[in-house]
Amino acid sequence: MIQPVDTILALVLLSVLISFGSSRLPALIKVVAFQGVVVSIVPFFIGHGLTTGGVVFTLATLLIRGIAIPVFIYLAIKKTAIHREVEPIVGYHASLMAGLVLMVAATFVSPKFNLPQSAGNALLLPTAITLLAAGMFLLMARRNAIAMVLGYIVMENGIYLVGTGFSVRTHHIVEFGILLDVLAGVMIMAVILQNINQAFDDVDTALLRSLKE
Amino acid sequence: MIEIVFLVPLATGALAFFLPRPSGRTLLTLTGAVHLPLSILLWVRQPEALFAEYFAVTPEGLLSLLVISLLFFLISIYTTGYLKTANIRSERVFTGSMLVFLSTMTMVTLSDHIMVMWIAIEATTLASAPLIYTHRSAATLEATLKYVLICSVGIALALLGSVLIALSMDVGGVNVPVAFSALAVVANRLDPLWLKAGFVFILVGYGTKMGLAPMHTWLPDAHSEAPSPASALLSGVLLNCAYLGIFKTNKIMHAAGLGHFSGTILIVFGLASILVAATFILKQTEYKRLLAYSSIENMGIIAFGTGVGGLAAYGAVLCLIHHSLIKSSLFLSSGNILLGYGSRLIDSTGALVRRMPRTFVAFFSGFAGISGFPPFGLFLGEVFILIGAFRGGHYVGAGVFIVSLCVIFAGFTNHVIKMSFSDAAAGDRVEEKPAMVWPQYALLLTSLVLCFWIPESLYETIVHAVNSIGGRL
Repeated sequence: MIQPVDTILALVLLSVLISFGSSRLPALIKVVAFQGVVVSIVPFFIGHGLTTGGVVFTLATLLIRGIAIPVFIYLAIKKTAIHREVEPIVGYHASLMAGLVLMVAATFVSPKFNLPQSAGNALLLPTAITLLAAGMFLLMARRNAIAMVLGYIVMENGIYLVGTGFSVRTHHIVEFGILLDVLAGVMIMAVILQNINQAFDDVDTALLRSLKE
Repeated sequence: MIEIVFLVPLATGALAFFLPRPSGRTLLTLTGAVHLPLSILLWVRQPEALFAEYFAVTPEGLLSLLVISLLFFLISIYTTGYLKTANIRSERVFTGSMLVFLSTMTMVTLSDHIMVMWIAIEATTLASAPLIYTHRSAATLEATLKYVLICSVGIALALLGSVLIALSMDVGGVNVPVAFSALAVVANRLDPLWLKAGFVFILVGYGTKMGLAPMHTWLPDAHSEAPSPASALLSGVLLNCAYLGIFKTNKIMHAAGLGHFSGTILIVFGLASILVAATFILKQTEYKRLLAYSSIENMGIIAFGTGVGGLAAYGAVLCLIHHSLIKSSLFLSSGNILLGYGSRLIDSTGALVRRMPRTFVAFFSGFAGISGFPPFGLFLGEVFILIGAFRGGHYVGAGVFIVSLCVIFAGFTNHVIKMSFSDAAAGDRVEEKPAMVWPQYALLLTSLVLCFWIPESLYETIVHAVNSIGGRL
């Protein structure tokens, strides 16, 4: 029998492939936002006796990772002159191939770990490992700073899944992952500042050139 | 009530964001002057924590705390002189961040809960990012972005490591608080596979922050772009804080009988860092980057010593203390040189001995100390690590260690001699403020004294700390 969680996780895996194939930032942002929403609601389905605090944390994660950060980045690239191209170091076709290899490898290694009680959710650990590796891949294989931040968020999603799936204790620990989003926020601010600086630099050199004549 | 030690700088730090410049400077020194006696009081009394589940006084924490406190006090004296000379636009942000940074680092040393430790280390990143960005130039912004990005990935991996350690508790059926001290007691009941995985992720995560190769790439940029007092703090104590996270996890590994596994990984990362530093020090063109690579080297030495264990673990803790003292003095001296010559390039400096004689004394003795010469304490630490490595049968490791140290010494000497005696930038004598020279002398003197005489309680604390990670004298 297919459980609802596995359907959700299959969607997450699909989003990894789409993110590897996206060439423009707006598309990548949408994929990561979708992934953030879907990953955040997993605890509602696995449910290790979700407490009120747990529900609040889960909703907060959903709001921050699924809505606030993507909207923030989206507005930022609209207002400043950040390049829309993700500037790949590894091409899109090769990236897609790497994504598929990642998923196969993750599925292959997952049963080798002895887990407490992850009975039933066959896709949980493979998805978590895939997300972790995919985030790392985006961090290394894209030159655009915003794409790197998005890769970082994909990695966070992976860690969130690892903690959420297995027990109450790990779930409590992974709730602190919300603090990682603060770092992501600082990074986005730095990228915006960098672009504003560059914009001013351009103006300066243009002025110098016009004054020369 | 040990929490007061990090709450005081947090409160004054928050206050400093709103105070006018002169009072901010006074507050900085004042907090340093209050923090030091508080730390000593903590050392003598060893009181209980108010939140005993989250905070505890441990020997390794006390050692780091005392180093942090002493360094911060001396650096704060230097900083008041520095701020009068250097033109820093956002001084309130600078002093405020320095104090909050002190508070977060103190919290790292006192944390016992695995997540409190993690939060504190993340907070050090957040508090130090504005320090690196102080000069507001494109280069500092790039260094800050690189620092935050790479360290964030490290911190995320450390979170994963913490999750895996919690998982090892569940698989092993252990039900204790997720605190280092509690886990060390029940370590042999934890699931070894997940514990090993957790250690690897924590080592890579906190190792990024500690500047171990190959995750070190942010370090030279951040340490060279930050204003010198901040560089001294970053290099002198922040690296120790990250090491503390690894140290405490290593303690659990040793208690679980997995010391050989963790030791091997530490040795590999340690040697890699020493080798990377040796490669880059030879061709260095900027003196602050030179010092930054030397920090990577020393962190590698410390990781290597910790991994070898036995006498080498004792040597590693000695190196940790003396590296902080000597490296922070060197960074402070480099601040004087930067203010005097206005350039970070080694080629644009010269005749230091005539133009800045007092700074020269501090810089040159610091250089002798960091190269492992007696009478400074790093010498003892490195000798102990070498003896430990030979005793433990790590002949290849010891060989790589000796060769790299020789290469680093050759490179360092070449650059320092050029800066001190060449006539490239000859000119008039530069004025040196006493407040910007004496802190360095005090730091070097402390290292010198500790080489010959270690107070009984300090010695006992070191031995106590080292015993838990397989160290023997």
